[in-house]
Amino acid sequence: MGSLYSDQRTWLHGVPAAIKLVFLALLGTGVFLTHNLAVLLTSAAGCLLIFIFLGQATTRTKPLLLGLLFASLLIGLFHIYMQQPMLGAVSVLRLFCTTLMGVALTLTTRHTDLLAVFEWLLTPLRYFGVEPERLSLQVALMLRFTEHFFILWRRLDDAHRLRTGQAGGFKILAPLTIQMLVAARRVADTLHVRFRR
Amino acid sequence: MNTSSLSIALVSLFAALIAVFGLIPKIDLPLGVPITLQTLGVMLAGCMLGPKRALQALLLFLAAVAIGLPLLSGGRGGMGVFFAPASGYLIGWPVGAFVAGWVMHMLPRTTPRSAAISAFIASAIGGLLVVHVFGVVGLVNIANLSWEQAIMGTLVFVPGDLIKCALCATVVHTVARGLPDWRFGG
Repeated sequence: MGSLYSDQRTWLHGVPAAIKLVFLALLGTGVFLTHNLAVLLTSAAGCLLIFIFLGQATTRTKPLLLGLLFASLLIGLFHIYMQQPMLGAVSVLRLFCTTLMGVALTLTTRHTDLLAVFEWLLTPLRYFGVEPERLSLQVALMLRFTEHFFILWRRLDDAHRLRTGQAGGFKILAPLTIQMLVAARRVADTLHVRFRR
Repeated sequence: MNTSSLSIALVSLFAALIAVFGLIPKIDLPLGVPITLQTLGVMLAGCMLGPKRALQALLLFLAAVAIGLPLLSGGRGGMGVFFAPASGYLIGWPVGAFVAGWVMHMLPRTTPRSAAISAFIASAIGGLLVVHVFGVVGLVNIANLSWEQAIMGTLVFVPGDLIKCALCATVVHTVARGLPDWRFGG
């Protein structure tokens, strides 16, 4: 499964994932705490500049940005209709700043680096019996099974189509779930043999 | 079978199921309301796995989305989705799955019929009510809508979600017959 990460190297690729996450958290908190339009406009301009300086790497984010534009437009128009244009501007600018920086982070950070940060953040939970290193294993298993179950879904759909001449739709949901639960038991046995836990 | 291994497998598999539901094209109701199957995954996780594992499955799924995997319907992913107007619904998914699992655990589930009825109630409370409460809070805080406007906005999705509750109950009924030893609600 492809990630949204861009291999085309930009200046932001060199910034450590933890710093980018801290920046995003601070930005997100900051823009939600302020109602000052000047501050929000400055932040939005800054975010736009950061994004523009990522260059060609941003080309692949066009569908995501179109979604952001559409959502912003809807919110803006709604607030104008409600005769609250200032509130609309504040909402749209907040959305613009945080979403744009979220996209920039995703575009320039390998998922393994982000996973390492998440595992580090989960380390204190070790005292409560949570094993942070499980996260990588579970993400890997999840990705493997997403592909596997999508193929299974297609097979069940094809089989249903051959029998009835119609798409399976929701009718194949129950057989898919049963096959998935049976697979889960087999995987659990394998994990037990492999990791002895 | 070791419960720790089973937990790892079930949590990963249900997170995968929710991801697969995101790959299946959405269905549009006549009024233009889209039904994506991913909230059905939230309901199913709660009813099938119980509160703790369902919570873990949804947190794992959201962690995978956060690290940039395009697992949400329409190929969306990354940190940006957690700041969008609908992010309240996303944040509500783990809580909704937990509540659905807890309600399922509390209700009778000895026969396929009782399990299906319990699943409908559990998914309506956890997968519908709780998720929509979080969604409304998100709309109020991020899109700056009033409570009334946000509630009216979210009500449009309720008919589709009620269909998903019925689907979840049907799946639970079939699984209860196909796998009689399965422990619904954990």
